[in-house]
Amino acid sequence: MEQHVDKSARWFLYTAITFFLVTILIGLIMAIKFVAPEFLGGIAALGVGRIRVIHTNGVLFGWLLAADMGLCFYIVPRLAGVKLWSEKLGLATLGVWVVVLLGAVVTLAAGDTQAREYLELNVWLDILVTIAWVMFGLNIFMTIARRRHANMYASLWYIMGTLLWTAILWIVANLPVYSGVNDANVNWWFGHNAVGLIFTPVGLAIAYYFIPKSTGNPLYSHKLSLIGFWTIAFLYIWNGAHHIIFGPIPVWLQTVAILFSISLLIPVWTAVTNFYGTLRGKWASGNYVVKFFIAGTTFYLLTCFQGPMHSLRTVNMIVSKTDWIVGHAHMAVFGAFTFFAIGGIYFALPKILKTDLFSAKLAEWHFWLSFVGFLGFAISLWIGGFVQGLQWMDPTIAFLDTVKAMFPYYMVRMFSAILMVTAQVIFAYNIFKTVRGASARVQPAVA
Amino acid sequence: MKLEAKAFLLVVVVAAFMFLGSYFTMVVPLSDPTLNDPGKDAKPYTALELQGRQTYISEGCVYCHTQQVRSLLEETQRYGMGEEETFKRFGIRALIQAPPSQPGEYVFDKPHLLGTRRTGPDLGRVGGKYDNTWHLNHLRDPRSTSPGSIMPSYTWLFTKAGQPTPDAIALVAYLQKLGSNIKWREEGVAQYKMLHPELQQAPPVVAQTAKEVAP
Ligand code: HEC
Repeated sequence: MEQHVDKSARWFLYTAITFFLVTILIGLIMAIKFVAPEFLGGIAALGVGRIRVIHTNGVLFGWLLAADMGLCFYIVPRLAGVKLWSEKLGLATLGVWVVVLLGAVVTLAAGDTQAREYLELNVWLDILVTIAWVMFGLNIFMTIARRRHANMYASLWYIMGTLLWTAILWIVANLPVYSGVNDANVNWWFGHNAVGLIFTPVGLAIAYYFIPKSTGNPLYSHKLSLIGFWTIAFLYIWNGAHHIIFGPIPVWLQTVAILFSISLLIPVWTAVTNFYGTLRGKWASGNYVVKFFIAGTTFYLLTCFQGPMHSLRTVNMIVSKTDWIVGHAHMAVFGAFTFFAIGGIYFALPKILKTDLFSAKLAEWHFWLSFVGFLGFAISLWIGGFVQGLQWMDPTIAFLDTVKAMFPYYMVRMFSAILMVTAQVIFAYNIFKTVRGASARVQPAVA
Repeated sequence: MKLEAKAFLLVVVVAAFMFLGSYFTMVVPLSDPTLNDPGKDAKPYTALELQGRQTYISEGCVYCHTQQVRSLLEETQRYGMGEEETFKRFGIRALIQAPPSQPGEYVFDKPHLLGTRRTGPDLGRVGGKYDNTWHLNHLRDPRSTSPGSIMPSYTWLFTKAGQPTPDAIALVAYLQKLGSNIKWREEGVAQYKMLHPELQQAPPVVAQTAKEVAP
C-alpha cells in the first residue's frame, strides 16, 4: 500500500470550505436585497451588481473548483497507485489560487470587471488562473503517467478531459478579440461549457469514484461510463447559442443549439443510470455520504432534463430571462455538483486525517437542511419565474407590476437561503472539529 | 493498446471534437459579414457614452437588465411605445412596436452587454423613452419614480447635495443612446400616420382608442 501524504488535497479542501462560507453569505445578502432593496444600501461595493459577480465567481472558483481540485489530488494518486507527483507543486498551485481568489474579491468589489458573464476577472487574474491550471494539470498528468495500475478507471478519463477542456475554454474565451453579438456567442460558448465541460466531467469523476467507495457496491457499468464520456466530449460544445434564442443571432445557430441540447439527454441518462445502478440497495441504509450522492444524482437528472426543455422555443419564450433560470442554475451548481463535492469531502477528509468525522449527526443535519433549503429556494424561483414569464407575455401588464408580483417568492427564497447557509455553517464547524480532533491526537505522538 | 497510446488518443479525439463544434458554432458566425456590419443601425459611441458604458459595466447593471428585444410579438409591444407616450410626444394615440434587436446594432459593443436576466426591464430600446431628469431621479432613488421597485439606489453616483456626478451624467447619456440609432419611434409614427390619412387633418385627440400598452 502506498502511503499518501495528501497535503495538497487537504489544504485545497480547507480553502474551498472557507470560501464556500464567505460566498454563500454574499448570496444571502443578495437574496435579502431582493426583498429589501435598501438593506446595506449606499455602499458601492455592496451594490447588487457588484456582489452578484463576487457570489458567482466565488462559488465557482473559490468553492466548487477548489474543492474539485482538492478531491482530484485525493482521487488520482489512489487510482494510479502512486504518490502525487509533487506535493510542493500542489501547494504552490494553491498559493496561486488563493492570490486569484483574494484578488478577485478586491477587484470585483471595486467594479473592475470585464462584464462578460463568468469571464469577469481582469486580465491579470485571468493569466494567474491559467498558470495555476497548468501547474495543476502537470501534477495530475505526471501522476497518471507514473501509475502502477494498468487500467484507467472512468474517473481518470473524466479528470483528464476536464484538464484539457478547461484549458481550451478558458484561453480561447479570454482572447480580447471579440465584439458585438459574436462576443455574446463566445461568452455563451464558454458559459455553457463552464458547466458542461468543467464542472460536469469533474463532478462525474468524483461521483464515479466515491459512489462505489461509499456504498461498497461495484460500478454498475464501465461501458456506460465511457459512452457518457464520449457523448459529453462530442455534444456539449455545440450548445452555447441556446442562451440567446430569439436574440440577435442567426436563426440557424439557434436551431443547431436546440437540436444538440436535446441530444444532451444521452450522456445524462447514461451517467444517472450508472449512478442509480451502483447505489442500488443503499437508499434506505446509506449514511450522509451516500445521501449526498443520491440527492446529487437526482438533482443532476432533473437539472439536465430542464436544460433541453428550456431550449425548446415554446418553453424558452416563457422561462428565458426569468428567475426560473436562476433556480435551474442553482440545481446544477448547488444541487448536483456541490452535493457531489460535499459527499466526496465527507468521505475523503476523515480518511486523509485517519480519524472519524467529528459528528455524523451534524452531517445528517447538514444534509437535510441543505436539501430542504435548496428545494424551497428552487421551487419558489421556478413558480415565481414561470408566473413572471407568463406576465411578460401580456404587454398590458406593467413591468413594475410583474416585479411586485415576485415579492412572496423572493421572501420564500430568502428564508430558504438562510437554511442553506445555516447548513454550510454546520458543515464547516463539523470539518473544523474533525481536523482539530485529528491534530490533537497526532500532537502527543510527534512531541 | 498501451495506456500511453490510449491517453494520447483521448487527447487527440477530445480536441478534435471540440474543434468541430467550435468551428461551426463560433468560427462560422465570427466570419459572417452580416454580424459584423453596422450598416445604418449603429454609430460608434462618443467619449461621454463610453464613459457611461463603463459605469454601467462597473455597477453591474447587466445582471438585472438585458439589452435585447427578442423577436417575439409580445416583446416588441412591451418595449415599444404605448398610447400615453405617443400622445405626449407625437400628439396621436397609437401603439408603436419596437423593432427586434439587430446584430448590426451591437458592432461597437466591446464587451457585449446582452445580459441574461430581467430583474428589471429590457433596456435595448430605452433610449429616448424618458428624459434625462427622470433617469437621474430614478438612479438616485428608483422608488421615487417607480414605487415598489427593487432596483438599488445609486446614491454614490450623486453628491451629498443630490447633484449628479460626471459618471451619472455619462451613464444617462449612454442610456439615451441605447437602441436609438434606428429611428423607430419617428418612423413608426410616420408610418402610422400614413396608414391613417384622417390623422393629418383631424385634431389628435380623436384618434382611435386601442388597448393601452403599459410601459
Ligand atoms: C437588482 C436589480 C437591478 C439593478 C442592479 C439595476 N436595476 Fe434598473 N431596474 C430594476 C427594476 C426592478 C426596474 C423596474 C422598476 C423601476 O423602474 O425601477 C428597473 C428599471 C430601470 C430603468 C427603467 C426602464 C424602463 O423602461 O422603465 C432603467 C433605465 C434602469 N433600470 C437602469 C439601470 C441602470 C443604469 C443600472 C445600473 C447602474 C440598473 N438599472 C441596475 C432592477 C435593477
